[in-house]
Amino acid sequence: MKIETKSLEASLGGIPILKGIDLALANQEFVGVLGPNGSGKSTLLKCIYRVLKPTEGAVFLDGRELRQYKPKESAKKVAVVAQHHNTSFDFSVEEVVMMGRSPHKKAMERNNQEDYRIAKEALRTVQMEGCEKRSFSTLSGGEQQRVMVARALAQQTDCLILDEPTNHLDIKYQLQLMELIKKLELTVISAIHDLNIAAMYCDRLYLLDQGQIVAQGTPEQVLTEGRIRQVYEVNSRVFREETTGRLHILYHSTTARQETTN
Amino acid sequence: MKFDHAEKKESWIRRNGYLFLSLLLLAALVISVLVAVTVGSVSISVGEVYRVILFRFLGMGSMELFSSAAVVDVVWLIRLPRLLLAVAVGMGLSICGVVMQAIVKNPLADPYVLGVSSGASLGATAAIMLGVGSLLGTNAVGVFAFAGAFGISLLVLLVSQVGGRSTSMKLLLAGIALSAVCSAFSSFIIYVTNDSKATETLTYWLMGSLAGAKWSSLAVLFPIVALGTGFFWTQYRTLNLMLMGDDVSITLGTNLHRYRQLYLVISAMMIGFVVCYSGMIGFVGLVIPHVVRMVLGTDHKKVIPVSALLGGIFLVWADVLCRVIIPHSELPIGIFISMIGAPCFLYLMIRKKYGFGGGAS
Repeated sequence: MKIETKSLEASLGGIPILKGIDLALANQEFVGVLGPNGSGKSTLLKCIYRVLKPTEGAVFLDGRELRQYKPKESAKKVAVVAQHHNTSFDFSVEEVVMMGRSPHKKAMERNNQEDYRIAKEALRTVQMEGCEKRSFSTLSGGEQQRVMVARALAQQTDCLILDEPTNHLDIKYQLQLMELIKKLELTVISAIHDLNIAAMYCDRLYLLDQGQIVAQGTPEQVLTEGRIRQVYEVNSRVFREETTGRLHILYHSTTARQETTN
Repeated sequence: MKFDHAEKKESWIRRNGYLFLSLLLLAALVISVLVAVTVGSVSISVGEVYRVILFRFLGMGSMELFSSAAVVDVVWLIRLPRLLLAVAVGMGLSICGVVMQAIVKNPLADPYVLGVSSGASLGATAAIMLGVGSLLGTNAVGVFAFAGAFGISLLVLLVSQVGGRSTSMKLLLAGIALSAVCSAFSSFIIYVTNDSKATETLTYWLMGSLAGAKWSSLAVLFPIVALGTGFFWTQYRTLNLMLMGDDVSITLGTNLHRYRQLYLVISAMMIGFVVCYSGMIGFVGLVIPHVVRMVLGTDHKKVIPVSALLGGIFLVWADVLCRVIIPHSELPIGIFISMIGAPCFLYLMIRKKYGFGGGAS
């Protein structure tokens, strides 16, 4: 599964948000999209998962323009786990996961044993087996997001788009969720808020600022102290932990701007 | 292996138990109609009631067996059509309630939410106050109410498209705004004509009634309600997705926009015909879907058939009680349903801690 965007531009309410994004994902790559609030991370992902239409440029799935796919076809290639929020209607866990089967279903086709097997398998993968009957709204935030991953898995796609899926989750669930997704061996593109988490799980990163890619590459290539100051306006220290070889970012309490004026 | 089989069987029952429940409700509906048909202000023996039905239905027996020809008329031309109208209206209101709640993604929606009630009132007002409907025959008020209800639904749909695609929020806002316009025009007509007799007629009409039931109107309404219900049952997957919202649905391969328009037109049609033959009967379309959800959850595969049947049963009994609760008089069914239904609904809500989801924990 390959995803590409070519000079992608998008605007919201007449204000340009993305200003020419060229991005490419190879098969089974875990790619993070970083950037401060309003940098266009979410807008970029929304263009790829068809919620927004780009004003210029295009998205390509396996070399074919996204526009030429029917919604059902693209939903068989790309699944999405979005930010966590509540719905006002109550479905059971199984019903939520079964929605992942809808792109595979014709207008009046019923769910069959195979669909239920796939749903069950998906719940097993996210370690939520046995919760089929529970009401989705009674689950904790972390469990709900795991069910959302199961729904995406039930779509049986090669690619997963994560639109800040760990927002509002406790750190334990953030790590649990990322760990889980990392093990799936799918092509993953994820918007990530937390730079440490991005460094831990991503093969490659794109750093966005004001609708443009300002850096791309491996975590250590992208996450430098200079760039964090420039893009996030925060002073930090980036270092590698000796025992594990992991990249860590420590923030300092004052912002870069204040530091220069003080 | 054996365990696996048992487990499969158990989950099959869990997933399809609603079919069993639907069959039970269907039986209950038939029994309700058969029991209700024996109740009425004219006392006719139970045996005679069924003899009339068998006679008219299957041609068994003959006219001479009955104590008077009036008996046949009461059962065949008044009681039975009225009960069947109750079934059709109950089903139609419940299904449109379920669908409307999905379309506008709001548990507080009822069949009348998108301006239907105000549109129907305006139509009825125009027909009664201005007398414009007399050319259209006996049910002119109903026809005008249908036109008002259906017209306003299309207008809401149209207005919600202005300046970009319609969303559930825009539909709701357009519905509220156009309702206000219609109500104002209704009031305006009532004010300028200043006809207290006609105002009284209008008030009674708006309370809703099943008294006008005729076989000819059932022949129109029943197929529409049945086809609409069947259609929406096949659409359960899309209805489920509507509750998840546009963004989620597109990632699951369904663009809701066109479906929303289609469902709105179909349910406006259903509700227009219901209003045409029974006036405005509130509350059924709001409550029945919620009662069903409290028991079965939100999956429309279950909610649609069970709501339809429960709505039918509910209205049959509501109508019976309306006829017997005050001797020699009949309570308007709309009033009765709100008086009895609302407290029952509140009781269920409090007891089951039903919070339209979210608050269920």
